[in-house]
Amino acid sequence: MADELELLRGADPVPPDGPHFGDGPLDHNAERRLERLLRQQEDRLPDGTGMLPGRFPGRARLLPGNTHARWGRFPSHTGARSGPLPGRPRARRGPGTGRPPGRLLPVSGRLRLAWGVVATAVVAALTLTLVLSGASTPPAVAAPRPLVVESGSTPVSLDRVAERAAAVAEAPGAPRLRKGTHVQSWSLGMSDDKPPITLPEERIVRWRADDSHTELVVATDPRHPGRPVLSDAGGKPHLVDDGHVLLDRTYPPSWSDAPPHSPPPGDPARLRAYLMEAQFTDTSLTTPQLLDAVATLLDHWTLGARQSAALARLLAGGEGLRPAGRVTDRLGRQGQAYVNDDGGVRRMLIMDPATGAVLGLESTVTRPEPAFGVESGDVMSYSAWMR
Amino acid sequence: MSNDEIFAAAYREHYWAVSRYVARRLDGRTLDVEEVVAEVFTVAWRRRADLPPSPLPWLYGVARNCLANAVRGHGRRRRLLDRLGNDDTAHGRHIAAGPEADTPGAWVHEALARLSPADQEVLRLTAWEELGVDEVAVVLGCGSRAAAMRLHRARRRLRAEIDRVRPEAPTAEHPCMTAPKEHGHG
Repeated sequence: MADELELLRGADPVPPDGPHFGDGPLDHNAERRLERLLRQQEDRLPDGTGMLPGRFPGRARLLPGNTHARWGRFPSHTGARSGPLPGRPRARRGPGTGRPPGRLLPVSGRLRLAWGVVATAVVAALTLTLVLSGASTPPAVAAPRPLVVESGSTPVSLDRVAERAAAVAEAPGAPRLRKGTHVQSWSLGMSDDKPPITLPEERIVRWRADDSHTELVVATDPRHPGRPVLSDAGGKPHLVDDGHVLLDRTYPPSWSDAPPHSPPPGDPARLRAYLMEAQFTDTSLTTPQLLDAVATLLDHWTLGARQSAALARLLAGGEGLRPAGRVTDRLGRQGQAYVNDDGGVRRMLIMDPATGAVLGLESTVTRPEPAFGVESGDVMSYSAWMR
Repeated sequence: MSNDEIFAAAYREHYWAVSRYVARRLDGRTLDVEEVVAEVFTVAWRRRADLPPSPLPWLYGVARNCLANAVRGHGRRRRLLDRLGNDDTAHGRHIAAGPEADTPGAWVHEALARLSPADQEVLRLTAWEELGVDEVAVVLGCGSRAAAMRLHRARRRLRAEIDRVRPEAPTAEHPCMTAPKEHGHG
């Protein structure tokens, strides 16, 4: 009588007695890595922390790599999430139609590792600039510049915003929580051997009553309506018409009680725990991590007034977010900017000061990385969320 | 033994177990597995002063964080990643029905994939890494009671999903499909 654990045991994709990774002596690579670790003792910092990624021999090879183009848009699935079985064919995922999985996978694996391993500053260095030089660059492809805080504008404290948001949440007819998202984003497509490119997209995810959902992604840049837009669908950057549909898909019913798929709570303490779990961590989030978690949240949920108020209170309670003043976001909306500088990246959160709703998040390189040709002021990513 | 010697011993003893842990969560792509495992032991090396007497669950915990770091991304990457969680592939639905699709592995994985990441991990640690509750607690960084509770709930949910996704009652062509269907509900 097989219980569920026995069934699962029988489905171990990498059994100890299988063809790969079976117990035994170390292989050559493993021996070599051990030797390097033991040898690098002299090189390490006193507390063993603060080492730059490139210091480790095993890491150094993560970034430089094969000579073929790697447009690394597609992360592979996470270990913490479900995973296809080894050896199973992998369906192509997402808008990159026409890309053979065999080529896609090494790409994603490498880049995923690069992202995981390399510190934020270096990740930031994988940013744009170089890219769009040349007279033939179409206007819609132009890399966006960072938002500018209006000079002379009075910053509004996060406490004040949180108070207003709390008042809005109590008002009748306040916006309600809604699963799904509507976001316009400008983000980087990265490659090892080609300059990065900025890809503008609009994404709408809507959930239905039966727990199925639809996702529509179009290539568009609202700053340049009607003009061709750069896309890397198909694996190679090329221009597509404004509004070109990259993905239009309906997903079967699915359900999860884990953040960020579960509904976000409406009080600050529980929301903090929720965001930690959404970021797969058991430790308190730093301000940059918190902002990244907010982006994750808003990529899944359109917050109601209660959640926005909780989020505003949570942000107000932390340190490291500096009120900077008024900005007009890329969708033409006015908001207040809150800035965090960390590790060569400036994150700017844009909030509606009247309601506490998060309007957008911009990440900008603040430290030039000549090795990657990125300069201070290059925008790494920008998301503008809508209802 | 010095910390360095203890580390080297743990490395030699557990290298392949950690590799399996990573491989089970990385789709078995050998090249990537090797790199993540290298990262795991690099982190472990930096923290070797913390290496407990039974280092394997601790190493799994490090590996878990490395995997999470490896997939924790920004902006577009993150959104794409999250979409993968709802992707047919991740749910195993892309697999064409065939004789091998009837094997327990295929639909047990499908059932597993329907659970939350947290549920999946506690189940994998128990079934694939063969850890006891106390060791699971080390990996997850929680107390033993919490781990036991998580496991209990995850098992219940896995059972429910298995009952939902397992193939229809065998017809005459598949009279030998017994093991997966022997368990009762509950």
